[in-house]
Amino acid sequence: MPGIDECLLEAMRLPGARGAALVDWTSGLALGAVGEFPGGDHEAAAAEAAEVARLTAEQRAFTPDGYDRHQSPGGPAGPDEPGGAAGVDPPVEDLIISNRDSYHVLRFVPTSFDSSVFLHVWLGRPDGNLALARIRLGEMAGRLVLG
Amino acid sequence: MTAVRTHPQGTTPPPRLPVREKSGAREHGGALSPMLTRLAAERATGVLERERGSLYLAEGRVVHAESPLAPGLDVLLLAHGTLAPAVWQDAVGRADEEYGAARLLLDAGRVPRGALELCHLQTVYDAAYFALAPSSSPGHFHYGAGHWLGALRPVPVDVVERETLRRRELLDRLWPDPLTDGAPLRRSDAVAAPTPTARQSAVLALADGVRTAPDIARELGRQAFHTLVDARRLAAAGLLTALFPPPRTDRAAAVPGLPPRHAFARSTGTAAAEPSPGITLPRVNDPDITLLKRLRDALEAL
Repeated sequence: MPGIDECLLEAMRLPGARGAALVDWTSGLALGAVGEFPGGDHEAAAAEAAEVARLTAEQRAFTPDGYDRHQSPGGPAGPDEPGGAAGVDPPVEDLIISNRDSYHVLRFVPTSFDSSVFLHVWLGRPDGNLALARIRLGEMAGRLVLG
Repeated sequence: MTAVRTHPQGTTPPPRLPVREKSGAREHGGALSPMLTRLAAERATGVLERERGSLYLAEGRVVHAESPLAPGLDVLLLAHGTLAPAVWQDAVGRADEEYGAARLLLDAGRVPRGALELCHLQTVYDAAYFALAPSSSPGHFHYGAGHWLGALRPVPVDVVERETLRRRELLDRLWPDPLTDGAPLRRSDAVAAPTPTARQSAVLALADGVRTAPDIARELGRQAFHTLVDARRLAAAGLLTALFPPPRTDRAAAVPGLPPRHAFARSTGTAAAEPSPGITLPRVNDPDITLLKRLRDALEAL
């Protein structure tokens, strides 16, 4: 079963991968990071990526239909119910940012406990393959926490 | 003797004002706990007990942290059914020096490695934030003491210290008043406040004038720091206030459905004639007062 480091190393095998990190979007903490990051500082990159991820996860405009019903059957009084107000599945799957020379793919990680983490992969544009990265990151996020 | 010419006759120059070398201390680490820096340098193993929490070290690296203010790994893993309580109890009961509870859980396939590492790392940084808070008494280090959980993914001391400092700054940026970190929280009516997010709504629903942010975190099975962040954001939006001074610990105030205001008034008896300090404070969210407070904080920060 993979741990955090194995998962990040697997992400680094994606074509064009420059860096990969597991980041908490509430605090901006990088729980793990491998490779390089823009500006050479993975902690600063994590804090900035976390801010974008947080805004995306909190905007109702990006939330799928029926998400609230599905997530908190008990409404605001739901914290006592299993999986109630925890928001176990993030409302957004992934977030893609592109610029002239690279892609950033942020993949939200669903967990069975309360957390707010995403996988962040930085891909060089010449070799990066967004479709492949999306599929692989989804699989990795699942394996990381579900085994 | 011409050296005194720069000062008026008969006076001595005023002593230099003490200046704390903040930047220097931060660069060299150890801004939080010189003892911790020394222990890391000597690759010590044991537990550092401070006023608001403990850090467990193995060969100078942080392997575990605990604080009464931060929900433990058990709270996070059990709250939403990641693990069954019996499975957790069994692993804790069988853990010894060689096989920590973490290794027992992993070997038995009870929880995926990634999930356990992730959850544990979060609790380490969460508890360390409180353990490394400024304290009034010195810490104590007990050499050799291990933790029944066992090592999962050790973190260098300087990384934990840096993250703790970053978290303090983050909270300060969100809302500079630290009162919501530890005082009982109560919802307040705000004019034209933004809609709280789903996660914030869960925090608001439990703010009853009795529970503090760490209490709410425990109840929701969340990290305490996440709840501190939400509480500060909600305070900044005017949706939440901290009761200060905290109401006296009176069980009457905890009666569900009874507004704490009434419970407090009844228990003191005098509150009807003269509003007590705990009751007047929700007015702090008066936009004018809030603006003045922010102005004051900004001036102080200059």
